[in-house]
Amino acid sequence: MHNPVRTGFEQRILLFYLILVGIIVLLMIRMVLLQWVQHDKYSLQADDNRLNTMPILSTRGEIYDRHGKPLAINQTSYQLIVIPERVKDKEKLILSLAPWFKWDEKKQKRFLRKIKQSRPDRPVILQQKMNWQDISPIAARLHQFSGIDVQVGTHRYYPYGFLVSHLIGYLSKTKKRHLDAGMLPSEKVGGTGIERVWENRLHGQLGYQLEEVNARGRRIQVLKTTPPVMGENIYASIDIDLQQTAAEALGERSGSVVVMDVHTGEVLVSLSMPSFDNNAFIRGFSSKQWRLWMDDPRHPMLNRSTQAVYPPASTFKMLTGLAALRYQTPLTSSTSFCRGFIQLKKRKLRCWNRYGHGRVGIQRALMQSCDVYFYELSKQVGNKKLHEEALLWGFGAKTGIAIPERRGTVPKLKMYQGELMIAAIGQGSVTASPMQVARFAAAIANGGKILRPQLQAGVQSDVIREVVVSDESLNTIRAAMRSVVSTRGGTGYRVLSEAAVSVAGKTGTAQVVGMTQTSRKSKGSKHHHKDHAWFMGYAPYEQPRIAFAVIVEHGEHGGSTAGPIARAIVDRWAEVYQ
Amino acid sequence: MISILRRMDWIFLSLLLAMAVIGLSTLYAAVHQGDTQLWFKQCVFWAVGLACFGVLCFIPTRYIAVLSWPFYLVALFFLVLVPFIGDIHMGARRWLDLGPVNMQPSEMMKWALVLILAHWFASREANNIPHLLIALLLSVVPAGLIVIQPDLGTALVLLFTAAALILAAGLPWRWLMVTLGSCPFLVYGLWLNMHAYQQRRVLSFLDPQNDPLGAGYHVIQSTIAIGSGGLFGKGYMEGTQARLHFLPEQHTDFIFAVLAEEGGLISVAVLLVCYMLLVGRMLHIARCARTRFASMLCVGVATIFILYIGINIGMVSGALPVVGVPLPFVSYGGSALLTMITALGLVMRVSIESQGYIPWQRPSNPIA
Repeated sequence: MHNPVRTGFEQRILLFYLILVGIIVLLMIRMVLLQWVQHDKYSLQADDNRLNTMPILSTRGEIYDRHGKPLAINQTSYQLIVIPERVKDKEKLILSLAPWFKWDEKKQKRFLRKIKQSRPDRPVILQQKMNWQDISPIAARLHQFSGIDVQVGTHRYYPYGFLVSHLIGYLSKTKKRHLDAGMLPSEKVGGTGIERVWENRLHGQLGYQLEEVNARGRRIQVLKTTPPVMGENIYASIDIDLQQTAAEALGERSGSVVVMDVHTGEVLVSLSMPSFDNNAFIRGFSSKQWRLWMDDPRHPMLNRSTQAVYPPASTFKMLTGLAALRYQTPLTSSTSFCRGFIQLKKRKLRCWNRYGHGRVGIQRALMQSCDVYFYELSKQVGNKKLHEEALLWGFGAKTGIAIPERRGTVPKLKMYQGELMIAAIGQGSVTASPMQVARFAAAIANGGKILRPQLQAGVQSDVIREVVVSDESLNTIRAAMRSVVSTRGGTGYRVLSEAAVSVAGKTGTAQVVGMTQTSRKSKGSKHHHKDHAWFMGYAPYEQPRIAFAVIVEHGEHGGSTAGPIARAIVDRWAEVYQ
Repeated sequence: MISILRRMDWIFLSLLLAMAVIGLSTLYAAVHQGDTQLWFKQCVFWAVGLACFGVLCFIPTRYIAVLSWPFYLVALFFLVLVPFIGDIHMGARRWLDLGPVNMQPSEMMKWALVLILAHWFASREANNIPHLLIALLLSVVPAGLIVIQPDLGTALVLLFTAAALILAAGLPWRWLMVTLGSCPFLVYGLWLNMHAYQQRRVLSFLDPQNDPLGAGYHVIQSTIAIGSGGLFGKGYMEGTQARLHFLPEQHTDFIFAVLAEEGGLISVAVLLVCYMLLVGRMLHIARCARTRFASMLCVGVATIFILYIGINIGMVSGALPVVGVPLPFVSYGGSALLTMITALGLVMRVSIESQGYIPWQRPSNPIA
């Protein structure tokens, strides 16, 4: 060890020891940094790699009518899927499948591109929403094609389609706020109607499955499953048979029918024609079809029950009468003489009966719908009282129904006398939706309770307001409405006197273009210039259960056009409920 | 035979056997889901390797010294052949198809260089310029041949090994400082001469997140595996990164990440301490060796081990660029394992000889 060269070598070895320890220490520092200091960060990243949450779809609740008939259900449908990695020759597969599904070349190319771009182990949907007839030829030959499979899913189906599409509505794509709330882009949400109103109850909640996946994305094991919450089934207030009866009675004509329970406000019928097929929104349709619906002058997409307002015409005369009775104006206890018109300065305001009704009191004026009597009556009531009375009975305000509606208009506070007279017979500045008119009839029947129209069966009534009105006044009006139907000469006598239960009602003829001065006969025969026909009322007269409003667009006479529809409904109702 | 057994360095041998246990158990965890055949093969390699190790304990180092020139020349010959008849694999020509076996001449050259430089400096000092230049020539020629393959990693390992041996052989400190001072220029020159894929690799190393599914993917995944292992690991064969195959090359170059993920910092510490003791023991043997050739041989082997360990773990933990270097005794691979055990056999023989009890051994080295 005294050899100088040897000691030099010892020094060098010492350096190597130092280098060795230095490198080991450096590596150890690196490991402490990764495994101790940054452990949490890398743990998260490792979990991010291996954990995958797969949503489990919930089933949307179904909608039934009040007797349990299906209005919106989930139908089993089949979809054709392909798992790319299991297909050897993709071109050949698409080519051999094409004739079965009538795929054109453009579609074939699109599918091919889709298959090639997708992850090889995840299914690609080729054809969706097929029924058993569509899929069976392929299902029987599945063994001939490797990599394709048939999966079962559901899609929404509306068995009655056109009949209640406005009320039931349809499903639409999820919007940003739904995605923010945790829904999947592939889910559907209620877009309109009841589907939208009770979206929260119908929708249910996604379930989740926490899976462990490997580097290729294949599932290795399921770690945790949160089952989905199924949507609630809902019984709507609608009576689909009664709705069907109303639709058959209305036929090809445009119009609306509303039937309401006078005590609970449940809507039994809410018909709006023409209509559209809400199934088309599920199947999907072309933009051409959409344009066709949107541009149709008959507006099939419009829900006439709540979103269309018409002059209530003579059905408004009860309101004028109620206002007069409230203030005991002189004419309510006397009579007026109808010559077929009334002279107002230089203008002539006509009664619908150009020959006149002769001497009429309030009862007969309502029964025969004498305009002149109400012209006279309105002078005694005045602008303010008529305006207030209209508001009191729910005109000019939303009914509170859960679907979109228009509020309509009430007689203005500032009107010339002529305008006031026209308003008193429900023309001019007054408009109302069939729903409002039906509710008015219900309020007359139930003693002044203004109800919120309800769309769910079996719910408690929601009384918006109880109008303070004397029984005497109400009975006067009720008796007059009864006599419209029960007394020879009443405007509804011919059609409704023989109804299965006693009906109290009122006809109406809403002018579309006509000026009161011009003769109705001379208005020409153009269909869209013809008057709208109203019939509203309630039944049975003695113990009211239902109130209704019928409007037939351009149906001309209330009694002869709208009346038979009301008759059909009442008869059908009596058959089922009495 | 008995005397050989009595003179065996039992500490060294037990460290080797400890490495066998760590290596084989880690490898099993890495392959247990796929090809367990690989594990059995590796067991066979260990058995063969230990047999070689045993045989080498009986072969005097002076015979090895005699073999160093022929071995070096054969390795160089193969290396020259590679550009002409080598197999192209992953864009580089590294492998030589010699009928029944495929071999990497560059791998062979590492050990040949250790032998030849140990032999060269057995009777020479590195403070003599002609001696030094010849030693440099012996190293730079094969390194250059490896760079053009191209295999930058192995070339660097070769140059570092040569540098270590020259340093051990008594390179004056002043010269060392000068060399270190010129390093930045060398690195710059190297960069300009690098292949595009090598530059990309270095860049991806500098910012792995930049290219997560390309070259950086390996390192990102191995870093996640290591970091998520924590102090105590996820449990044997429970590593999610390994089990679910997020970790690439997990039975070969990236096997360290499997150990770190499943065994945690504790296991890593155990492994590193084992390595430190093993290499430290080699340096101890080098110090006690009877001949200068034997000392240099041990230093060379120790250097290669230090480089392998440092580069592999540095690369897997994202501290160094990705170069294909196995983790000694742990990574799967027959030829690498065999050569490493063989190298340890040489060191063991040096240790046996240094006991001084071997009758046919005469003190032959004038410097010792």
